[in-house]
Amino acid sequence: MTYYFRQVSKTMNDCYPNKGQLDMVIGTRHYINNHFDKELKLDYLSKVRFTSKFHLIRLFKKYYGQTPKQYIIDKRIEKAKALLKNGLNITETCYNVGFDNPSSFSTLFKSRVGVSPNEFQKRATFIKSV
Amino acid sequence: MKVKVTSIPVQDQEKALQFYTEILGFVKKLDVPLNEHSRWLTVVSKEEQDGVEILLEPGPIHFEPAKVYQKALYEAGIPYTQFNSNNVQQDYERLVKLGVEFSVKPTKMGTVKIAVFNDTCGNNIQIVEML
Repeated sequence: MTYYFRQVSKTMNDCYPNKGQLDMVIGTRHYINNHFDKELKLDYLSKVRFTSKFHLIRLFKKYYGQTPKQYIIDKRIEKAKALLKNGLNITETCYNVGFDNPSSFSTLFKSRVGVSPNEFQKRATFIKSV
Repeated sequence: MKVKVTSIPVQDQEKALQFYTEILGFVKKLDVPLNEHSRWLTVVSKEEQDGVEILLEPGPIHFEPAKVYQKALYEAGIPYTQFNSNNVQQDYERLVKLGVEFSVKPTKMGTVKIAVFNDTCGNNIQIVEML
C-alpha cells in the first residue's frame, strides 16, 4: 500500500464519516444534473430528504465546495457551450439550459467564459471549419 | 490572465506522446522543436480540444531537482496531477486491458471516485469521477 493510499484512507475516515449526509448531497447533485434545465425545486428535494432547504445548501457547499446555485450555473453554462458549438442560436440555447432571459444569459455567459455567446459560437464555428 | 497550459514532467517526450495519445486518447496540439533534445509538445483532451493544454515537459532529463522531486512523488504513490472522468470504473477497465498499471483501483472517497495509474513516464496520474 502506497503512502498516498494510506493518506486517502485516513482522509476518508476523517472527512466522510456521515453516510447519511453523503447520500443526501450526492442525491441532490444527481437531481440537479437531471433537472438543471428546468425550474429547480430545492424546497421539494429538502422535504423528500426530511431536512430544511438551508441545511441542504450548507451540506452541499461543505461536500462539493460550492452552493447548489453556483453548481447549477456551472452546469447550465457547460451545456450552453455544447449547444452553441452545435449551432443552436443564443435565444434557443438560453431557454434550453433553463435561463429565462437571453440578455441576462449573455451577460452571465460573458462573465464566466470571457466572451459573449455570439463570439463563442463564431470561434467554435471557425475552429470546426479549419 | 488565463490558464491555457499546465505541465507534466516526463522522462522521454516521444514515449510520453505515445502514452498520452494512443493509450489515454488525448490529441497532439503543438509540437515545436526547441533544440536537439527538447520540444514544446502539448496535448489536449479529445472532447475539449480548445481546453487547457498539457505540456509534456522534459524537466527530469535536464534538471536534477526536477528528477528528484518526480521520483519522490512517484515512490510515495502521490499523483502528479489528475484528470476528470465520466466513469472511473469504465476507464479503469479500458486502461487495464491496454496494459496500464494501477496503484489505486477505483475507490469511493466521499463525493468522488478515484483511481491512480502509472503513466510510464515517471508519474502517477489520478482520474476522478464526481459522484
